[in-house]
Amino acid sequence: MIEFYAEIRLVHIWSVIASGTIFFLRGLALLAGQGKAPGRIAMSMPVKLTSYTVDTVLLTAALMLMTVVQQYPFIDPWLTVKVVLLAVYVGLGVAAFRFARTRAERAGLWAAALLVFLFIVSVARAHDALGIFAG
Amino acid sequence: MEDMSDTRKLWTLLGVLLVVSFSVLIWSGTRIYEAAPPMPERVVAADGTTIYSRAEIEKGRQVWQSMGGMQLGSIWGHGGYVAPDWSADWLHREALAVLDGWSQAEDGVPYAELNAERQAALTGRLRRVMRSNTYDPETATITLPDERAQAIREVSAHYESLFGDDPATAELRENYAMKNGTVPDAEHRRVLSAFFWWTAWAATTERPNDTITYTNNWPHEPLVGNKPPASTFLWSAFSVTFLLAGIGLLGWHYAVTHDREEARVPLPEFDPMRHVKATPSMLATAKYFWVLLALFLVQILFGAMTAHYQVEGQLVYGYEMAEILPYSITRTWHTQLAVLWIAVAWLGTGLYIGPAVSGHEPRFQRLGVNFLWVCLLVIVVGSFAGQWFAVMQTLGLENNFWFGHQGWEYADMGRFWQWFLFIGLMLWLVLVGRALWPTLTQKSEMRSIIGLLFLSTVAIGLFFAAALMWNEHTHISMVEYWRWWLVHLWVEGFFEVFATAVIAFLFTRLGLLQAKTATVAVLFATIIFMAGGVLGTLHHLYFAGSPTPVLALGASFSALEVVPLAYIGFEAYHTYRLGGATPWMQRYRWPVMFFIAVAFWNLVGAGLFGFLINPPLSLYYMQGLNLTPLHGHTALFGVYGMLGIGLVLFCLRGMKPELAWHEGILKTSFWCLNIGLALMALLTLLPLGTMQLFASLEHGYAYARSAEFMQQPFVDLLVWMRVPGDTIFSIGALALVVFVAGLWLFPKREDEVPVAAEKDSRAGARAGD
Repeated sequence: MIEFYAEIRLVHIWSVIASGTIFFLRGLALLAGQGKAPGRIAMSMPVKLTSYTVDTVLLTAALMLMTVVQQYPFIDPWLTVKVVLLAVYVGLGVAAFRFARTRAERAGLWAAALLVFLFIVSVARAHDALGIFAG
Repeated sequence: MEDMSDTRKLWTLLGVLLVVSFSVLIWSGTRIYEAAPPMPERVVAADGTTIYSRAEIEKGRQVWQSMGGMQLGSIWGHGGYVAPDWSADWLHREALAVLDGWSQAEDGVPYAELNAERQAALTGRLRRVMRSNTYDPETATITLPDERAQAIREVSAHYESLFGDDPATAELRENYAMKNGTVPDAEHRRVLSAFFWWTAWAATTERPNDTITYTNNWPHEPLVGNKPPASTFLWSAFSVTFLLAGIGLLGWHYAVTHDREEARVPLPEFDPMRHVKATPSMLATAKYFWVLLALFLVQILFGAMTAHYQVEGQLVYGYEMAEILPYSITRTWHTQLAVLWIAVAWLGTGLYIGPAVSGHEPRFQRLGVNFLWVCLLVIVVGSFAGQWFAVMQTLGLENNFWFGHQGWEYADMGRFWQWFLFIGLMLWLVLVGRALWPTLTQKSEMRSIIGLLFLSTVAIGLFFAAALMWNEHTHISMVEYWRWWLVHLWVEGFFEVFATAVIAFLFTRLGLLQAKTATVAVLFATIIFMAGGVLGTLHHLYFAGSPTPVLALGASFSALEVVPLAYIGFEAYHTYRLGGATPWMQRYRWPVMFFIAVAFWNLVGAGLFGFLINPPLSLYYMQGLNLTPLHGHTALFGVYGMLGIGLVLFCLRGMKPELAWHEGILKTSFWCLNIGLALMALLTLLPLGTMQLFASLEHGYAYARSAEFMQQPFVDLLVWMRVPGDTIFSIGALALVVFVAGLWLFPKREDEVPVAAEKDSRAGARAGD
């Protein structure tokens, strides 16, 4: 598998970019007009399915990288942080899209999710649990 | 009147068909018994020294069974796919060892360094030496030339190292997903290789006065001249012809009966099952469905671990899992749980439907249902514990057969537990029978179809007895014969009849089908299924030490099994139409969708992927490659798993008629299960199996199963491609569990959601238009 390390890493990185972009755009569309065309498109089946597909590819590539580099969550702190924050990101995302009652609430949750997402990216880039805050 | 005689004719035809088919099947059993490769009392070298004794070979088989048998690697192509086929692996290693011995002695270099001409000369000699039959029936002795005796010592040393914890073979163990110290006892390891040798001997030794080996020249091994015998070409070609003829005939039958307008039944205005009052024993079956879902989830978990061992060997995401739950045990439990949870769906449905049909709650029925449930739990926990101790090699060979791991795929539980399960099934039979009895003795239109339902119940109960037909030292060819009675006849035959009968019966009860029409259709379908199905059992036995007539019968009749599947579109469309027949059928939308999925996977998983590996010539190269789990997963889960889920949903609808269903979760579950299964098949199993097939055709079977082939980065990548499909599939299973749990934890009454109900009924009315 080490033979494909570079390709898998590339797939992982691009699917992270795609996943984050889709989340960002869907949130923006929902905030722009829930119930109107942008909001309906953001929550439409093709968009949802694209997002699921990208996330599944992302996850697969992540698991493959994990066994290639032999570093695992709950053993290596930076991966532990990534997994825990992934759950937080997903939770915030679901709350923003499904359960937020007001526009402000939605905007707040969406922004918080994006911050968590960016922090996870910084942890990944630094290979350090502190991410952007690492010395 | 004419219908009655139609029904009677069909019953007679079915009776005659079953008597004839089973007579031929039993006759085939006697032929296999007579033609099975002999067990020698002694194997000696030309210089008179004993190599192996019968006791050692038999004890070796016990050791093999105790470590999980077919669940770790395979014998004669039957078993697991990550470790090699031990028969083919031994054969290849022994052949190379003999060739190397000669070339070193005569040319002073290894065989691989000889020129092509010399190599051809030596393989010519090898074929004569390894294919000639030196078994003497008088003394029951096999005599081998000294160079083979030497080669056997070398190969045996390799296996003794591999199954222990020798660092020299550590990498290979990891590649084969074997735990270190698979067989810790040195003497056990030595006799284990005696058993492997004997299976390889049978695969390469020609039958007396014949040019084919005891296993019909399987496996493909160019070194010793193992290539498909003429009979595999012949019967493959004929089997395709029979299939086409069958499709033609059945097409004619449909053409003739197509225009006969189904008698229009006045459709009921309200769901007739809605007000069936669930009796205490019917309500008690709920826990069967809860357990079933738990078993399903655990099965998926063990499946994921088993698949994962293929890429990380002894680790599961970094954890040294092989020390606690080695591959052999996760695969055992994965395959056992598949049959167990599907069987629990059958058992629960039978127990639920009995009193629902007759309206009669026999005395102590609920107690019986509860008692049987406890017994099932004890069997699952007890047999699994025994298997774990066996694989950990702590149970001792003397207890293994009764309480440990029998090592026969799908019939792995200890004999004690098999008896326990058989008695449990008899109890089930009694419970279902006594509930149905008042309807069976009444003269009514429904009698025939209920009779068929009851007969399939009897068959499911009794045919499990096939698992009790072998003993600890029964010849492996005979064990295989009876094991396929269990796996093929029991699962693929009688489960199928039960399924057809139960679905038709449910639609009849809903008032959508006339009892007479349904009876004729079900009887006809049963006759068609059984015509191919009973003797089709033999297609699993082409290369298990059976003689040529068994191969011919198996090929011909199993091809006929595909005939009704070619027309399954009729059934699917019919089910779909019934699903939208009345507005209230919307209540049964998801059970009906699962029944339609059953039809789809019956065509794809059972029909297409099954026939792909079915003709003898195909199976000769494909047996035990990843094309087998391709068929296994799509047919076993695709057909029986989906059917089990459909039946559970149907029973739950009746058990809690007043509840509104959370359709969204069921929709997620349905599509995730189907898409996940399709991705597993298309992204991994089909491409990987096809790659292996090329290797098997070009270089021989041993290579297609070797670590050298299976450890290529691209193969790893294909195995990883299971993650997307398996993840989606797991989400589907979890959604199903959430849905069922929701019915108890967050029940929502139908009248509390008038808008949804109204919308539903409008949708239903549209579907019915």
